Amino acid sequence: MQPYRRTRPLPKNFEVIAKSEHEIRSAASAAGLALRVDELRRIADHLGRNPTLVEAYAFDAQWSEHCSYKSSRHHLKNLPTTGPTVVVGPGEDAGIVHLGEWKGERYGVVVAHESHNHPSQVVPFEGAATGVGGIVRDVLCMGAQVVAIADPLRFGRVEDADSHQRYIATSVVDGIAAYGNAIGVPNIAGDVYFDGQFDNNCLVNVVALGVINESEIIHSAAPPGSEGWDIVLVGKATDASGFGGAAFSSLALDAQDAEANKSAVQVPDPFLKNVIMRASYRVFEYLREHKITAGFKDLGAGGIMGCTAEICSSGGYGAVIDLDDVSTSQENLPPAVIAIGETQERLTWIVPPGVTSEILRIYNQEFSLPQIARGACATVIGCVSKAKRYVMRTGDEIVMDVDIDFLTGTIRDELPFKELAASDTPEPSAIDRLRADHPAEVLTKILAHRDVCSRAPLYKQYDGVVRGCTVLERGAADAGVIAPVRGTPLGMAVSVAGNPRYGKIDARRAAEHAVLEAVCKVVAVGATPIGLTDCLNFGNPKKEDQYSELVAAVDGLGRGARALGVPFVSGNVSLYNEAAAGNAIPASPIVACIGALADISNVITPAFKGSGYALYYVDAGANHNNGGSVLAEVLGIQLSYLPPIDFDVAAAQLTALRAAMDAGLIRACKAVGNGGAVSTIVQMAFAAGKNGKRFGARVERSRKFSTLDEGGGFIVEVASREAFESFIPTVAAHHIGAVTGDALLIVNDQRFNIDDLHASWSAPLAEVYA
Amino acid sequence: MKTSALAIRLKIPDNEAFTALGALQRLEIGVTRLERADVWVFQAEDAHAGALLSAVRRNETLFNPNKHELAELEANRPRAGEVWIEELGEDPGLRARLGGKMIPGVRSAKRYVAWRLFGSDNAAVDPATARAAAEALLCNPAIERAIL
Amino acid sequence: MSAKVGVLIYPGTNSEDETLKLLHDVGVDARLVHWSEAATLPNYDAYVLPGGFAHEDRIRAGAIAAHDRMTDSVIEGAQKGKLVFGLCNGAQIVLEAGLVPGTGPVRRPTAAFTRNSPNGKFICRHVHVRLAIDPQRCAITAALPKDSLIPAWAAHGEGRLAATDAHLKEIASGGHLAFVYAHADGSVDDRAVPNGSALGAAALTNREGNVLAIMPHPERDAWGFNHPDRARGTDMLAPSGGVALFESFAKALK
Repeated sequence: MQPYRRTRPLPKNFEVIAKSEHEIRSAASAAGLALRVDELRRIADHLGRNPTLVEAYAFDAQWSEHCSYKSSRHHLKNLPTTGPTVVVGPGEDAGIVHLGEWKGERYGVVVAHESHNHPSQVVPFEGAATGVGGIVRDVLCMGAQVVAIADPLRFGRVEDADSHQRYIATSVVDGIAAYGNAIGVPNIAGDVYFDGQFDNNCLVNVVALGVINESEIIHSAAPPGSEGWDIVLVGKATDASGFGGAAFSSLALDAQDAEANKSAVQVPDPFLKNVIMRASYRVFEYLREHKITAGFKDLGAGGIMGCTAEICSSGGYGAVIDLDDVSTSQENLPPAVIAIGETQERLTWIVPPGVTSEILRIYNQEFSLPQIARGACATVIGCVSKAKRYVMRTGDEIVMDVDIDFLTGTIRDELPFKELAASDTPEPSAIDRLRADHPAEVLTKILAHRDVCSRAPLYKQYDGVVRGCTVLERGAADAGVIAPVRGTPLGMAVSVAGNPRYGKIDARRAAEHAVLEAVCKVVAVGATPIGLTDCLNFGNPKKEDQYSELVAAVDGLGRGARALGVPFVSGNVSLYNEAAAGNAIPASPIVACIGALADISNVITPAFKGSGYALYYVDAGANHNNGGSVLAEVLGIQLSYLPPIDFDVAAAQLTALRAAMDAGLIRACKAVGNGGAVSTIVQMAFAAGKNGKRFGARVERSRKFSTLDEGGGFIVEVASREAFESFIPTVAAHHIGAVTGDALLIVNDQRFNIDDLHASWSAPLAEVYA
Repeated sequence: MKTSALAIRLKIPDNEAFTALGALQRLEIGVTRLERADVWVFQAEDAHAGALLSAVRRNETLFNPNKHELAELEANRPRAGEVWIEELGEDPGLRARLGGKMIPGVRSAKRYVAWRLFGSDNAAVDPATARAAAEALLCNPAIERAIL
Repeated sequence: MSAKVGVLIYPGTNSEDETLKLLHDVGVDARLVHWSEAATLPNYDAYVLPGGFAHEDRIRAGAIAAHDRMTDSVIEGAQKGKLVFGLCNGAQIVLEAGLVPGTGPVRRPTAAFTRNSPNGKFICRHVHVRLAIDPQRCAITAALPKDSLIPAWAAHGEGRLAATDAHLKEIASGGHLAFVYAHADGSVDDRAVPNGSALGAAALTNREGNVLAIMPHPERDAWGFNHPDRARGTDMLAPSGGVALFESFAKALK
């Protein structure tokens, strides 16, 4: 590639200089730019001229909330991100935590977490599918094998079969299934909540996980000494489908916008992705064999421009891109669309020119990309430059020429927020009503509650066992577990958490609970928590009350993670989740926790193992937490009381429980979640039923143990009370009853048939996902 | 009772048609362009027949304006160069595809996959070519019937 | 010299690694054959077609793959008596290629694994399959005990056997119905069938018995760690459960 020489003046400018505020604003609006007037003026000042149209759209993408995290980054920096398990912290496309060692090799888990909320509200099938596709690329580009996904979902009310919400709730699941199943990555964890406050804004978060030998990590940066190296674009032919994708996510949704935004529909192609993944694995192998360091990054919002600018600036370089060399599937695409459009299924390599032909051969010949999808290929589109400029040209024209660090550098919006009041005013009369004796049918109602009932009708559409590595599939336990490194005993667990009923009451404590719940779920399967990732789904940051929730939630995440000693290694922020009428979603900090098992033989399942074994409740510092509980909803009690978590107790209890597990004392374990302790016990009997074993339980309510409390903690089954109680000085565990062999649940004087309870629990979502 | 045939076609790129075209060309069937649509043939009560198109347009399980285009066909049978594939026996998922929304006045609904084949001059292929495409690839006679 | 087995990778295949690993664990000399290496396929003694979505199952599951160049070699090999073992998508391809039940001409299928009943959606569910033929009837099942019950995962959107009544009759009377879905205790009824499959069919074989097409995946419930509660106290990295069918396949190669 020739060094560039400016042959003509910069064309087609976006006029800023000497224009009035009003003129700039209306011109920006007409062009579909979300940049503010002050931002446009800052760009013109920096350039010393009007930006070209391509530059204006480039800054529009780079400085969007979606890419820049401009209103959240300065808060996120307070999260704990270091620790002995951290291999790669936040900052690249995905984080990496240390999983374990086998025969002298160190293996890491690559984890990324993303949302595709806005696109899924408009075109739910394609929006959700491309959400999976995007996050999988983030993991792939670290040099990893993609081994699992998880999908926390939040939908509106789905009771009405004719409702838009029902259409979204079913089509999103269809889209995730279609994509994840075809690329051959098992879906092993996730959760779903249904609430009217998600009617206008569904949440579709996806976590992707990969495994990697820690000596083989590929970074999302131009490597040292890469001046003059080739920039290779791999994947689908560029089209107009994703143009404006980044700006799209920054705009509020309403019905008219949805129609106007149809050009932003991103078309998933999991078939192409399947082939690109496997071709990339072959490239990894080639680079390893030849000891070549390269850079690899996926294309997301901001398209070719965003990806190539970030990968080069991360390495301390600039870039020159020839837009004419980009494979396009439509004639006469405007340069801005080629440069910035968010076409799916694309990645970028930075490689030494000597190996370029082999990389192209692998993608184009061996894996025949051009036959897989129209115009798909790997092709050189530019080179890394020493000058720290970001230059794009088409024909003889320079359509973009800016300081690369100015383009990709940190920008920050200081927005007003206030300290939110803590929700710790007890309301004794309401609490007393919750703690009173309840008739037997309350348990049936709890099990059939939309946040408690079986999720199987939803997740049975997902392939949870492809790759043959699955140890505990979705629904088998609190966390999904796989054996990701074939032929080794290493195990990896992943859980998700984030309770919107808590989010409605107190954003900070909802975040603390999300951390605690995710960690407890991983501990419940016998794994050691090694890393966290978060997706912060909130409303409009320009509205003080909504932004304050975000700030408080980040604070809560930090407090929980620090107290439990588990770092955050990646994350994502999704803002503007509010409808045109201004109603926002509940504060939705959603957390995933990764756990490690040195030997999968030690995995613990929730299924009861033996009649006569003892049951204990192990509290985790958050008991007596009845605000926002399913019980309160079932009884129709309004209670805005979410008391603080005692994280000292939580940390000590988790340590002690893990010691009891290591000592082989725990036969079965399940974290207490939605629906409270008794619902947890019932589900442990259901799990045994899946193994073909019929068990029940007899438990006693007491002052210390309320069967319907949702305060976290664990139910554990132990064979030897004596051995377990020797841990009692450290584990505050209450003996609550025993496993029985008769498929009955007896709570004090109330008796339930396990099969009847199973029927109540199984039915509700079966109708929705029929 | 009135019979109406509606075609719902993707306006975003149709990956399936791309792959099918490549496969037909490898089989040396003279096709240069291929379009695919879902054709729905509805029997609707006379009183509701006039509003059928708008009712389908409102049924977002069938039709999402962000990705589909909808056209009423002149006749409820294939056009020149077109093959309709009909499933024999039960059509699992028919209800799911119709969504929870039963379209008012509709007494029966039948779905076909319509493949429209174009030849070298971009004109509709002759019936023999269409039949060859159906027999070689587009129709599995164990479970489907091809209508030309 | 031991038989050389090719594990085929079509564009869109996704289960090649676990299938290969299990073949190696039962002592089979198997290697992956990528579609760019299709020309080497005649050199192999048997073919395993693993799961996935070859050509993304566009048009119908297996329809385009049945016309792939790789499948030319599979058809030719099957006609010469080589063993062909199709799993899930591999089974769909084998049916679309007309190799199984094999009652019509090549590539003119007389049966299909098609969209699941009742809702046409993908289903991922743990199942058991019971051997429904005399083990000797099919070379790949020959080393299994009579009435063998094998655990597996159904994970497919198009796994329901469908055909005309005449062809279904032929499948039933001609000894083509190799495995049926069953409960864990071996009993058989509609509830054991995850997809509405005609005859409760989970797997079919051809007249000669050298081709087996099985929809559910025994290779996904094939190591101790895939079923930790059942394998407690044993070596969880060792094969167990669904491996039985692969062991029988391995013996047939000898």
